[in-house]
Formats: sequence, C-alpha cells, structure tokens
Amino acid sequence: MKFRKGLKIMSLAAAAAVLCGSLVGCENGGGSTSSNGKTQISVAGWPSKEGKDKENMEAKKARFEEANPEFEIVPDNWSFDLKSFYPKAAGGQLPTVYGTHFTEVSQIIAAGYSADITEQLKKDGLYDKFNPQVLDLVSKDGKVYAFPYATYALGLAFNVDMMEAAGLMEADGTPKQPKDWYEVAEFAVKIKEATGNPGFVFPSANNNGGWIFTPVAWSFGVDFMEKGSDGKWKAIFDSPEATEALQFIKDLKWKYDVLPANTLIDGTEYYKIFGTGGAGIQITAGDVPSKLTQYGMQPEQFGMMAMPAGPKRHVTLMGGSIQAVSNKATDKQIEGSLKWLETSYTPEATDEYKKNTETDIDRRLEKNELIGIKSMSIWNTDSEAVKFSHKLIDEKTNANPNHVKLYNDFVADLGDCKLRPEEPVCAQELYGILDGCIQEVLTNKDADCAALLKKACSDFQVNYLDNLDY
Amino acid sequence: MSSTDSNTIELRKRMKRKSSFRNDLDAWILFLPSVLVLFLMIWRPTVLGAVWSFFKMNAYTPGDFCGFDNFRKVVTHTQFLPTLWNTVQYVLWSLILGYLPPVLIAVLINEMVHFNNGFRVTIYLPAVIPGIAAMLMWYYIYYPDQTGLLNMVLVKLGMEPFAWLNNPTFVIPGIMIYSTWKGFAGTMLLYYASVQSVSVELYEAALIDGAGIWKRAWHVTKPQLEGILLLCLVNQIIGVFQIMEQPLAMTGGGPNGASISLGYQLYQYGFNSGGKGTGQAMALGVIVFLILMVMTVFYFWLNKRVEDRY
Repeated sequence: MKFRKGLKIMSLAAAAAVLCGSLVGCENGGGSTSSNGKTQISVAGWPSKEGKDKENMEAKKARFEEANPEFEIVPDNWSFDLKSFYPKAAGGQLPTVYGTHFTEVSQIIAAGYSADITEQLKKDGLYDKFNPQVLDLVSKDGKVYAFPYATYALGLAFNVDMMEAAGLMEADGTPKQPKDWYEVAEFAVKIKEATGNPGFVFPSANNNGGWIFTPVAWSFGVDFMEKGSDGKWKAIFDSPEATEALQFIKDLKWKYDVLPANTLIDGTEYYKIFGTGGAGIQITAGDVPSKLTQYGMQPEQFGMMAMPAGPKRHVTLMGGSIQAVSNKATDKQIEGSLKWLETSYTPEATDEYKKNTETDIDRRLEKNELIGIKSMSIWNTDSEAVKFSHKLIDEKTNANPNHVKLYNDFVADLGDCKLRPEEPVCAQELYGILDGCIQEVLTNKDADCAALLKKACSDFQVNYLDNLDY
Repeated sequence: MSSTDSNTIELRKRMKRKSSFRNDLDAWILFLPSVLVLFLMIWRPTVLGAVWSFFKMNAYTPGDFCGFDNFRKVVTHTQFLPTLWNTVQYVLWSLILGYLPPVLIAVLINEMVHFNNGFRVTIYLPAVIPGIAAMLMWYYIYYPDQTGLLNMVLVKLGMEPFAWLNNPTFVIPGIMIYSTWKGFAGTMLLYYASVQSVSVELYEAALIDGAGIWKRAWHVTKPQLEGILLLCLVNQIIGVFQIMEQPLAMTGGGPNGASISLGYQLYQYGFNSGGKGTGQAMALGVIVFLILMVMTVFYFWLNKRVEDRY
C-alpha cells in the first residue's frame, strides 16, 4: 500500500515536472533585468570549456560590467547554426546578442528576428562611420538590423609545399599569381604533375558549390537574375556565358583532371580536403585559417592570393560576419548590446579595443592559427582601430608574410576588381540548384552544360522566383 | 427481499463503484506523466503541424490562413515527383536487399546446434553502433578515391576505383546496403523469437514425414511467421519511406538530387530554408502522413485476412 502511494506521488511529481518544464520552455527568453536592477545582456557563443578562451571572456565581461554598472553580461553557450536558429527564434529564446554571417542575414531580417539598431548606432556616432556598401548588406528599408564586424573578399588559398614543388613560388615565399581561371587550371595541372595530388578542389554540396560558383560565373559575364519593370524577378542564367563557366568546372574534372575523386563536397569536406593536403588550391575567404587548424595544417603550410579574373570581368564576392541583437531586446538592452560590441569593434583604437584585439590574436596564436591575413575595413574612413589591428598582425605573424602578401594587397586595393555582394533574392536556393549542376558535370562526362543550365534556370524561376515568399 | 438485504446490495454496489473509481484514478495518476509527454512531444506537434500547413508561416510563427497554398507549392515543385520516385526506390531497394535476409538468418540460427548465441550476438553488433558513427564509417568505406575501403580492395584486385555514392545509379542501393547492415539484426531477432515459439512437435512430425530443412521452413515455419512477416513488411515500408538521416549524412542528397528522399526534402524545407519553407515542410509532412495512413489501413486489412485464415 505504501509502495503504491509512493508510486502515485512520484507520478504526480513527474507530471508536474513535465508540465512546469514545458511551461518554462514556452516562456519568453527570460526577463531583461536581473534581481539587482541591472539590464541583462545575454551573449551567444560563450566558450563552454574551461580554459584560456573562457578566462578571456570572463575578464572582458568583468571589465565591461565595471565600466558599465547598469548592465550585466549573461553568458550563453549557444552559437549560431541554421538548424537551431529559427526554432529558437520562434520560441523567443534567442540570446540578446548573437553572431552570424552575411549569407544568412537577409533571411533573418526578413523573418524579423533581429532588432532595428539604427537609432542606437546614430546615438553612438557609428552610423556614418560604416562603409555604406557594407551597411547596405545588413539594412532593409533604410533601417540597420545588424552590426557588421568583419568583411572578407574571396581569394585563392594555396598549399605552400605543393606550390613550391610545382615551381610556382618565388624564392622569397611570394606565390605566382594566376591572372585568370585558365591559368589557375594550368597551376593545378603543374601541382598534380609535381605532387600526384589534385591541384584544385571545388565544393559541390550543401549550397557550398553554388556559393563559390557565383563569383566564378560573374567573371565569365554571367548575370543570374534581373528585376523587370513590373518588379518581378527573372532568372537569366541559361546563357552562353553561364555555359562557358560551367564548362570550365567540367573541364577541371574531365580535361585537366585536377579535382579530387570525391564529387560530393560540402563545406566540411571542402576544408578537410585542403587542410589535409588533399588539394593544392581552393577558392576561399580570408577567414580560412580558423577552419584549417583542426586538420593540423601549420601556419607556414598555406597562404592566400588574389581572386583571378574571368574572360569578361574581374570580380569577387564579399563575405563576412555580423553580430545581431534579438528582436525581443528592449531599447535598454539594444543600448547595452552595442556598448558590448563596441568594446571589440570600433573605428577608434580605444584601450579596451586594443586589449581585446591583442587578447584575440594571442588566443588564435595559441591555437596555432595563421596570423597574417588582414580583413577589409568595415569603416568608411581611415580607422585607427584597423591600423592598430593590422600593425599588431604584422608584429605577431607566425608565418612568412609573403605567403599572404598578394591577398592582403588585393583586399587593401581591389584595383579593377569589383566587389559584389551575394545575389539579391533566394541566394541559398540558387546555390542549391547550382550544386546540382556542378555535381552533374563532375559525375557525368557527357553532361550537356547548356541543357543543365536551361533546366536549372527554369527550376529556379518556377520553384523560387515565382514564389518569392515560398 | 427485505429492506436490509436491498440496502446491503446497494452499499456493495456503491463500494464497488467507489473502488473502481479509485482504481481508475490510480491508473490515471500513474498514466499522467506519459500522457503529458506524449501530448507535448507527439500529439500536439502533430496536430499543430497539420493545422499550420494551411497557414502562411513566418519561420515558425503562423501567419494568415492560406488554404492549400503550401500543398500547391510542394507538389508543383519541379523536384517533387523525382523525390517521390527516389523515396519509392529506397523502399523497393530496402525490400530487395533487406526483407528476406533477416528471416533466412533467423531460421538458420534456429537450426544451428553450436555457436548459436555467439552468432546471434555477432550479427546484432551493427545495431549497437551509433547511427551517425556507422554512417560516417560507411561513408569512408564507400569513399570514391583510393582511400575508400572498397576501392582499396578493387585496386588490389587490379581494377579501377568505383565512384560508389558519387554514382547516381548506385547511390540509393548503396545507402540501402548500409541501412540493411545496420538495421536487419533487430528484425532478425523478432523473427527468431517467432521461430522459437513454433511448437517443436510440428517439426518432429515433419521430420517423421521425412521433411528436410527447406520443407520444414516452408511448411512449418512460414505459416507460423506470416503474421510477423506482414507486420515487418509494413513496418519496413513505413520506416524506409521516412528515410532522412542517411542521405543527409552520406550524400547531402546528391549527386544532382539522385538520393533526395521526401524526408530529406522535408528536413531541408524545415531547417535549411532560412525559415521560408516551414509551411511547405508541414504540408509535405501531411502528405507523407496520408501516404503512410493509406499503407497502414492496407496493412490492417491484410492482417485481418491473414488472421481470418486461422
């Protein structure tokens, strides 16, 4: 009898726990003020493992809270990923500040999950200091919805040992720069002849293929879509230029034979192949070092150079990272969030900025990440902060600076190269469709590039452009 | 009947009702946590998913009622029919590769005199390897260059490496070979339990009549297994129809969409569309649910016919 009574109590307790748990889950992401009256700012991407990273963040938090006693930073270990972001956002569970990439920002803004920070940026005197082209990427209808903090242009990463073996490096460690895509193919052939390894790797899955293919195609003269006078978008990439661009990718496999055997290469596989010495050259952004350390690639083993030109244009894709503030944030939280972000991202070289930048570089050095690549400035004027950061990179570089000289010169002065943002609508869906074309030409020697692109163009129109709110 | 008797009967009835109520209450209290979990994790999302498939979704927040618009977008998507056909191919290949081997092995183990238990455990091992780890293992077994295990063997035999999962014709059978390897042991145990429950006297009688192993399997074992065979057939069809993790982890749906299944497409709508495809994800979920409901009804009808024979 006692046992049954105990069982019943346990059942009721379990039911109550389930109910409470679910109700807590349904609740909005917590209040905005703590019990001591401070405004709470939860910050995503907080290191969960004990160690230097976490200690640095704790120290940064302590300094911030001391300088801004009305705010309290609340660590949140969640980091942005596409799968969990939207469910989390719909449940009102987003941290106050979270980081993401340019590739995702337009969809996040469209879904309304990032707060309008225009007024606060103006109050803080930052609004006019951003590069307008960069700010435009995070704006909608004249309002700014995110804080861009790093921008990169796509360029070419290369394996130093393989380039040396193929005789493609100068004595001082500067690589020879391929002028156009066909010269890239020649470089890749030389690498393969000299090392026996694939000279080039091109992604093809999980939208990565399409993402990398777009700037290549632009340089062949391709335009993917245009807006008609009626305001409707039309897919226009069933063109001879697009056929030529896709034929180039096909030739890398079947004519030059410089690609790896695997033709289903997603983002992870892409960096793994390059990072483990499975390919000599890849197209990538300037943030590539952080993606290669996990494969044991030493800073001296790779470098970067400029994006080559195509037959019609010299163009590259702009990529980068942003910090956004949750749409649930109060005005006070937006104020605190921007104050927090400005400790690391500001045009002025404040003491706090200097401290945080130095700590960040030291942290990356400890991880054996290549220090030497300079990102493009997000500011429209000569920024003291950028000068400080670049000087520090020069001082602390852990590899031959000539390995990345051509890329750094490229992003410092693009010259005739045009910097383009991603395609304006349904970019991810376009990438998915282009992935299919790339996979087909890499697996089928007899694939008809023109026919593939005709179908892809029609599919993109019917499935997405005709259903923009799909 | 005296009034005392009638009062006693009435009292007993009331006591019985009270006791029955108390028993029911006890049962409901014990049942409550499971009901709540089922409600929150299964019933509520299922019903909400079906209801929201008729709404224009803003990521995971329902907006205006849009009728069958999400369904229209799903079925008019140019990849819908190829994806449906891929899914049917997954089912067909799973039946070709994976339906009969568990039965045969169950019968074999049942007939084994020595090493019966050891063999059973060995066969069950793949089922205890975590799914993603096993998929990655097979990803490298199938890896298309000379570092792939199968290609190492081919090269040793003096043959050219094969593209395996990079080959659009092989990709679905290739994934189903993995799935069969991973999942057939569980089904085999079900069959084995059924085979064990077949009366030994029936086998003895068959032996006396001079029946060999195949005749015993056909005339004694098979009739006893028909119910479970049918159940496993429908379970397998329903399970494989929802295949998602394998193409996600092993091929990303490629090459050129050759391994995209309805389940994978649903996942793409739900989690890889930047929140734009959640309405379609729910609509596709309803479509898959309806297809599976038809199969389930068919199963019950078939099951009844099988049971009526005995």
